Amino acid sequence: MSENQEKKVHGIVAEYESVDSLLDACRRVRDAGYKKTDAYTPFPVHGIDKALGIKPTHLPWIVLVCGLTGTATALLMQIWMNAIDYPYIISGKPFISLPAFIPVAFELTVLFASFGAFFGMWALNGLPRFSNPMFTDPRFDRVTDDRFFLYVDSKDPRFDEGSVQQLFNETGGQHIQSVIDDDSSSKIPKPIFAIWGLIVAFSVIPLLIVLKMRVTNSSSPRFHVFYDMDFSPAKDAQQGSTLFADGRAMRPDVPGTVARGEVGQDMNFLTGIDMEELDRVDSPRAERLVNTHLNPLVPQDPDGNDDDEATSPEVSAQAEAAQEPSVMDTTPWLKENPLDVDRELLALGQQYFGIYCSVCHGLNGGGNGLVNRRARKILAQSWIPPSSLHQESLYEDKYPDGKLFNTISNGIRKMPGYASQIKARDRWAIVAYVRALQMSQNASIDLVPQDRREEILERQREVEQKLEEQAEAERKAEEERAKRAGK
Amino acid sequence: MSLAIPNGLDNTVEQPGQRAPLVLGDTTYHDITETVCQVAERRPSTGWVIGFLISFALLQWLTICILYLFYVGVGVWGNRSPIFWGWPIVNFVFWVGIGHAGTLISAILFLFRQEWRTSINRAAEAMTIFAVVCAGTFPGIHVGRAWLAYWLAPYPSLNLWMWPQFRSPLLWDVFAVSTYGTVSLLFWYMGMVPDLATFRDRSKNKWRRMAYGILSLGWSGSSRHWMRYEKAYALLAAFAAPLVLSVHTIVSFDFAVSQVPGWHTTIFPPYFVAGAIFSGFAMVLTLMVPARSMLGLEKLITIRHLDNMCKIILATGSIVGLAYGTEFFIAWYGQVQEEKFAFTNRAFGPYWWAYWTMVTCNVISPQLFWIKKFRTTPWIIVVISIFVNIGMWFERFVIVVTSLSRDYLPSAWAYFTPTWVDWSMLIGSFGLFFTLFLLFCRLMPVINMAETKATLAKQYHMAHADDH
Repeated sequence: MSENQEKKVHGIVAEYESVDSLLDACRRVRDAGYKKTDAYTPFPVHGIDKALGIKPTHLPWIVLVCGLTGTATALLMQIWMNAIDYPYIISGKPFISLPAFIPVAFELTVLFASFGAFFGMWALNGLPRFSNPMFTDPRFDRVTDDRFFLYVDSKDPRFDEGSVQQLFNETGGQHIQSVIDDDSSSKIPKPIFAIWGLIVAFSVIPLLIVLKMRVTNSSSPRFHVFYDMDFSPAKDAQQGSTLFADGRAMRPDVPGTVARGEVGQDMNFLTGIDMEELDRVDSPRAERLVNTHLNPLVPQDPDGNDDDEATSPEVSAQAEAAQEPSVMDTTPWLKENPLDVDRELLALGQQYFGIYCSVCHGLNGGGNGLVNRRARKILAQSWIPPSSLHQESLYEDKYPDGKLFNTISNGIRKMPGYASQIKARDRWAIVAYVRALQMSQNASIDLVPQDRREEILERQREVEQKLEEQAEAERKAEEERAKRAGK
Repeated sequence: MSLAIPNGLDNTVEQPGQRAPLVLGDTTYHDITETVCQVAERRPSTGWVIGFLISFALLQWLTICILYLFYVGVGVWGNRSPIFWGWPIVNFVFWVGIGHAGTLISAILFLFRQEWRTSINRAAEAMTIFAVVCAGTFPGIHVGRAWLAYWLAPYPSLNLWMWPQFRSPLLWDVFAVSTYGTVSLLFWYMGMVPDLATFRDRSKNKWRRMAYGILSLGWSGSSRHWMRYEKAYALLAAFAAPLVLSVHTIVSFDFAVSQVPGWHTTIFPPYFVAGAIFSGFAMVLTLMVPARSMLGLEKLITIRHLDNMCKIILATGSIVGLAYGTEFFIAWYGQVQEEKFAFTNRAFGPYWWAYWTMVTCNVISPQLFWIKKFRTTPWIIVVISIFVNIGMWFERFVIVVTSLSRDYLPSAWAYFTPTWVDWSMLIGSFGLFFTLFLLFCRLMPVINMAETKATLAKQYHMAHADDH
């Protein structure tokens, strides 16, 4: 009813008191040939569709389509999510396990079909509709209480005010009236607008905050509404704890703990010391060494850098590791690598040397690894440069394999022990590789076959030249820096 | 115009060839409007105010307990290894079950053309929705980090990069309960629209008229609208009927699909559905019997209505009793050691008191409804239905707690002890339920006026037919 004309007549309505009189009137109106008619009742009246000639609705078809959409959505969703995009293996079922997908498919079918029935019904009825000329007459309020109304629309081709009124009169209709436009204001009251505006404004605030957070940077830590598991109550390494008598949060191994892969291996292999010999020359020390391996919890007396495997409190271990190897080293070190040195072992040693040793000692063992270079660059105060492995004092005759093994295991000066990170066998592999490295840097040219000597010497010259150039460049850069610092 | 059916008529007596009248007294269409509308239009009675204040206080206590739970964590409950489900899940199943009677009355009885449903369906549907609200609260807070409960939804997550696991009954449950809540809400609201229009047309106050005007969507009672409306209503009823059966079936899958002794049984779905209807009708009676006398609705909710509901309680109660017996029989007949132990342990283990409370309340007490006197005396009905409510809560307690507390690993066995938070949340959930229900009584039409008028119209029609 979009007519702008004021007081336009939409149709004529009559009031009836009972269902029977209404049904009777409906039939008469239908038989008189009126099509644009409607009845208004407080409850669904049985048989009125036929009496008025109302065609059945096609709502069930809408519902059917919605229901099938629900089924298809559910099945495709589950197949996509659980079989294609993120395949879950659950109790050996196939990825597309239809029986397990039935419950959700059923629920979504019902859900979609119900939405179809609910919203479809309102849409077909043209509701919600908040302005209806029928409501202009206050008598019409009783349509939801106990009165029945019959209406003929003026758009009906047979509509004629007089004859409709007559028809209503004949069928016992009361209060026959024209339905006219509602001339009351259709504006929404201001308070409603105000309340609505406030709701919208307030609901936008959190969104704006989220948006601002997303587009701006902040140096303060993220705001935790809920802590979730972001902050673990577990202690960090080196933290203290009041829970244990020794005040440490980190716990040493339980007495008698044997590392994986070390069960049944002999003490010589694990310490690099000839234990029988040691037992002969210094039996208390041999006993202590065995004890440290079996009972790491019990602090053992520190004893030179021979003391083994992260045993006593760190402080004494460090102090002891920092000592220079004593000149009068009486320890009966193993003279030879207990493993068979072959290509495979050397490859293994090279691998571990690359991972653990090269960062300080350099890939060639010259003592100028990345850490060392960095430390020199930042002029670290407490830095003790790592030893070059190519000094004579570290050659096999002065520094037996067992001793080298012990140094790798327990560290020396600033170097920490690696026993906890590298298995004994792999440490021996490193020892073998270090020997190979030493040989590579200090071998006499006589060891090389005659026909390849020239090639090697050529290469050596090239390398030396390059190194010189590099050293020159470094020196220049240093001078430059010094100059700038002087300014 | 009206047809006099005496107020004191005993409409529980069957008269061959005649349908028993369901609206009593010298009632007209307008009387129905008046009777129902006065509940919401008159000033609230002292009883209502006191009831509301108590319920509202309990609801606030529930809110505080939930905030406390969020702040401290799920350790505030008595849930301990191996009983991780505890009372929250007991309460969840209890409340979901309660809801079922509402849908059953509105959908299944509608499909079977049981006209006596018309005066009780509205309140029963409201009860369904409020029960589902209570039920949904518990798994929501039981997930531990309730603020992440949306992870259950299948949405493309940028943080998780994964999807929910659709082969789990717990996920089916999410879909079942949320679909059930949604469809029940649609069904309830749709059924209310014509009655909200009645409220609108009766309101004197401008704001009240506007509020009900918006809620009733401009309903005019057009017969074209009624035709589509009835079709939609029938369709929704047809969906809600299998839906209600599916919901408690899927709830029972939460248990039955697991391997815990005492849970891993195929009897669970029908047994749970029967139990749900049983408990739901008990709750309807617990609510409606006092409400009908307090709100003055005796002419519309007659003794025949109560009588019919008692019969349903009797039938479903017997099914539940049979299920208890069958479980024991299968435990013995199946000869699986763990199953045999689980059931012996239920009846004679540390939770024997819970088991026998359940049997007394659920199996024995409804049998009293064989006697007509008990089915037609309101106060006895209330007493028995409260017993049934208690019994059905204990049933869920027995299932959840006894099975979990002693499963395959004897070294892990434990005894469940609820904390004050458990107690508060159970009682608080009743506060939530009654707050919503009392508000509903004041603000919404408690009886489906349009349908009751249609029933009355049929009654007139039949009376006239007799005259001819």
